Amino acid sequence: MLFEVSGKRVFATTGGQPFDPEKPVVVFLHGAGGDHTVWNLQSRFFAFRGYSVLALDLPGHTRSEGPPLGSIEAMADWLNDVVAALGVSAISVVAHSQGCLVGLEFASRHPDRLRSLSLIASGLATPVNETLLGAAQDDPEAAIAMMTSWGFGAAGHYTRGPVPGSAMIASGQRVMRGNAPEALHADLTACNNYANGPRAAPLVAAPVQVIVAGKDRMAPKKATDALIAHLPDPEVAVIADSGHMVPQEAPNRCRKLLRDFIFTHNPANQG
Amino acid sequence: MSRFLNFDTLSLHAGQVVDPEFGARAAPIYQTTSYVFPDTDTASSIFNLERGGHAYTRITNPTVGVLEQRIAALEGGSAAVCTSSGMAATFCAITAILGQGDHIVASAQMYGGNISLMQNTLPRFGITTSFFDPTDPDACRAAMQDNTKLIYGELIGNPGLDVLDLEAIAKIGADHHVPVMIDATFNTPYLCRCFDYGANMTVHSLTKWMGGHGVAIGGAVVDGGNFDWGASDRYPTITEPYAPFSGINLWEEFGPSAFATRIRAEAMRDIGPSMSPMNAFLLLQGIETLSLRMDKHMSNTMELLDYLSNHEQVSWVNHPSLPSHPSHQLARKYLPRGAGSIVSFGVKGGRAAGKAFIEACELASHLANVGDAKTLIIHPATTTHSRIDADALKAAGITEDMIRLSVGLEDVADIKADFDNGLRAAKRVAEG
Repeated sequence: MLFEVSGKRVFATTGGQPFDPEKPVVVFLHGAGGDHTVWNLQSRFFAFRGYSVLALDLPGHTRSEGPPLGSIEAMADWLNDVVAALGVSAISVVAHSQGCLVGLEFASRHPDRLRSLSLIASGLATPVNETLLGAAQDDPEAAIAMMTSWGFGAAGHYTRGPVPGSAMIASGQRVMRGNAPEALHADLTACNNYANGPRAAPLVAAPVQVIVAGKDRMAPKKATDALIAHLPDPEVAVIADSGHMVPQEAPNRCRKLLRDFIFTHNPANQG
Repeated sequence: MSRFLNFDTLSLHAGQVVDPEFGARAAPIYQTTSYVFPDTDTASSIFNLERGGHAYTRITNPTVGVLEQRIAALEGGSAAVCTSSGMAATFCAITAILGQGDHIVASAQMYGGNISLMQNTLPRFGITTSFFDPTDPDACRAAMQDNTKLIYGELIGNPGLDVLDLEAIAKIGADHHVPVMIDATFNTPYLCRCFDYGANMTVHSLTKWMGGHGVAIGGAVVDGGNFDWGASDRYPTITEPYAPFSGINLWEEFGPSAFATRIRAEAMRDIGPSMSPMNAFLLLQGIETLSLRMDKHMSNTMELLDYLSNHEQVSWVNHPSLPSHPSHQLARKYLPRGAGSIVSFGVKGGRAAGKAFIEACELASHLANVGDAKTLIIHPATTTHSRIDADALKAAGITEDMIRLSVGLEDVADIKADFDNGLRAAKRVAEG
């Protein structure tokens, strides 16, 4: 679905069902350098069970008009603009990695808009390796290689995903190459500069769940522990054998956790 | 800083989750037509493409799935779909995006089955093809029409062995926003990964070098994931709602693997050229040793090129590794590990001498296949290319004295000894 926010084209997949703002809405936020396709094994499920779904491309990513946004705070306010533009009153946010920082900031800035918050593979902050940050600016192919090398665990590296025939690392690399050239550097800079997590996390008023990847090399245990410690009463689940790219590496377990949480806290009429 | 598994490791491990119940190290053969669903919700999710999983072996199968993911990993593609044969792969790949009124620009130098498909069969479905000289990228550009939806070729042409200038062809595709599909059977991903040079999808006859043992027919389509289907409205099968799956928009939902998903959702379901689990298992065993075999194929090929080039009864030898071959520089660029193990050569004395050579060989098998572990020989003009017309035969670079040789893995001294016998017989015929 294409629509406009502040005069710029925005794309979101709606999971194969028409978007209806009157239904409970689940918004999916991708991570740095990603796009909506990271969610294809979650978004369609909700779309066919009574929810309206938006798996967004952030500005400058795949089909959404750029330029990329320069800070997590700007992304959070942009998300609020998206929600307002579509006439939605409140949303469930499902976020991965960088998207989690956006979700935290959105929750603290626009608490009335949030029904539930699901945070997947994230810390309270996301300091970015200097080599990666430099490569994202000067040598995007090297940066893409680093991101996908570190981001995927065994399921990615051994091409063992549960979708027959699919190879998630190559797909991830294709997505990153399809973004605006400056998008990855902008995303990583935004992550690196975001320092408001310790203040935003305690302000999350909506029900919140944290899904931790046990083999995450981009959001290690120390970082996720800090996130959990700052959130008010989160539901925490660990997928022990997944790397950072949980929605693709462990889609079935991830979807089940999301289903149980969102069906409880933002129920839809599935009749 | 980045670290990925290398080719030989992927050849052995990619795609396989070790059996959790019994710990079988080899990929099990799931010889079943269908699968018990744990609940109705899971069943409906699989049928609605909400999740991965297996419903019916015509569409997916766990053993075939291991092979598909292994091939995708070796090619560097976003997804792969295996089929009952290489020709089934080609047909499914083409018809996934082309239909009535569409046009292909294809290399004139291809396997006879590919040429026949485009020359005889696809026109019945309203799909026409213009063939171009694969040594001349400008001829490819000149053949492009407003309704051209695909550029198709073999990296190593069959049987002339001209190497396609893949980057030049890919640029033509990019300039016209038309995908480039390469039949990568002769090169395999070990000799060249076509996506690295701009191809958008590959098709394989796995029957040949990928399997290597000559015991299983199979094919594969690999999606490069690097074509922007949404940049125009010319590929509605990818970018428009697909009614059988609740109007799914494959490009929006699956992005880099949209093309492969279309083949899975349509061709495997509605046409059904599925690979058997047993064949997938056999092909997996072959792929485990792909690099070892290809290196041996190449070393034997180089020795035989030297032998044939210096034999008095051989009038000419054709292989891209020879400096005299017009594609030699392209072969060095695209195929640095070797330009494949197909050699063509002419036997002095023409058709009769060629016939005598083939009939006198004992070790080399006279049959219509390539890429076996065993050395194979054939006379293309009377066999593999016998059903194409005279102009196409000439365009494909085939002469009546041509012997096509698929170099095997035997001790090369024994192959030379066999050819000594064959060429002696040819000489006797030539000298009357």
